[in-house]
Amino acid sequence: MICLSKNEQGAELLAGYLSRTLDAPRMAELGRHIQECADCRGLASVWERLDEFAVPEVSPGFDARLYARIASEDARVSWLSWRRWLWRPIAPLAAAAAVVALVLGFLHVPGTPHSAKQASKVEIEQVAQAVDDLDLLTPIDR
Amino acid sequence: MSKPTQPSPETRVNENMEAIVALERDAQLMLNVREGDDTSFGFLLERHRGPVVHFLYRMVQNQAVSEELAQEVFLRVYRSRETYEPTAKFTTWLFRIATHVALNSIRDRKKEKGHESLDESSDEMLGGLERQVADRQLTIEQEMVRDVKLREVRQAIEALPAKQRAAVLMHKYEGLDYAQIAKVLSCSESAIKSLLFRAYETLRDRLAHMA
Repeated sequence: MICLSKNEQGAELLAGYLSRTLDAPRMAELGRHIQECADCRGLASVWERLDEFAVPEVSPGFDARLYARIASEDARVSWLSWRRWLWRPIAPLAAAAAVVALVLGFLHVPGTPHSAKQASKVEIEQVAQAVDDLDLLTPIDR
Repeated sequence: MSKPTQPSPETRVNENMEAIVALERDAQLMLNVREGDDTSFGFLLERHRGPVVHFLYRMVQNQAVSEELAQEVFLRVYRSRETYEPTAKFTTWLFRIATHVALNSIRDRKKEKGHESLDESSDEMLGGLERQVADRQLTIEQEMVRDVKLREVRQAIEALPAKQRAAVLMHKYEGLDYAQIAKVLSCSESAIKSLLFRAYETLRDRLAHMA
């Protein structure tokens, strides 16, 4: 006798029965058991109860809003690429100047441990967020 | 109560073939998008807009929020087109993004306002939804019974822990299999089976009076 709540494979059997993917003998056996067992009948009937959860139609302007956002993002990316191209010749100079300024600042202005800790915390959160996003957007293995 | 008839083996083979073709089509469309073909993005949007919005609607139970989140999902898909590799089923990847976005939204809303505004807006939405899906042929009494059932199912699902809710919605409404749900939620398949069983048990207890 199959009883879902007393079977190690209960979850698999229930889901298989609910989605009608079990083989025919198993479907028939479980079907007979469900007629007799109130607990299992309750579990099986959940599937039908969930059919009550209807959803509204997607708004007609959904695609237009999305394409507008994509266009605006494309324009921003294009402007950033153009700006990067303009700055490319002087980027090494700017980087060198920034390093010199940082070194001078470090030598002459003593930083407070509190602000350093805060900056470090923010950096860690930013890195964690970036890694999270990267992981999400990377296609996963089959 | 009528039950769906068991599909024949031939029907199942055809359905599987269609699923494989659809899988390859999605991956191919996304590769076309990577090559700069925006029309293919339009096809992908056409195919998956409904399932993604409906999944998100059932997750957050608010139409405006669900559509906003769905926009974010498709924006992320578009943004990642240049690095896309068809190493996973497109729908698995898509629902991974959608689930991530939904769970973040639920977490942020809980932090910001608790349940107050979501409940208010979803109740307000529910009225509109009930009217939208109402069958003109039903009597007022039948409509009221259906509305009560809808409200109870909605509340039972909303009361599930967010991860269980996502798993049930993908399993029941979006047709994702265990392997796909496991990848979406970064769990083992056995963990997903057990999680789904617990969720269905909880739903059975909460909806027992409707049987």
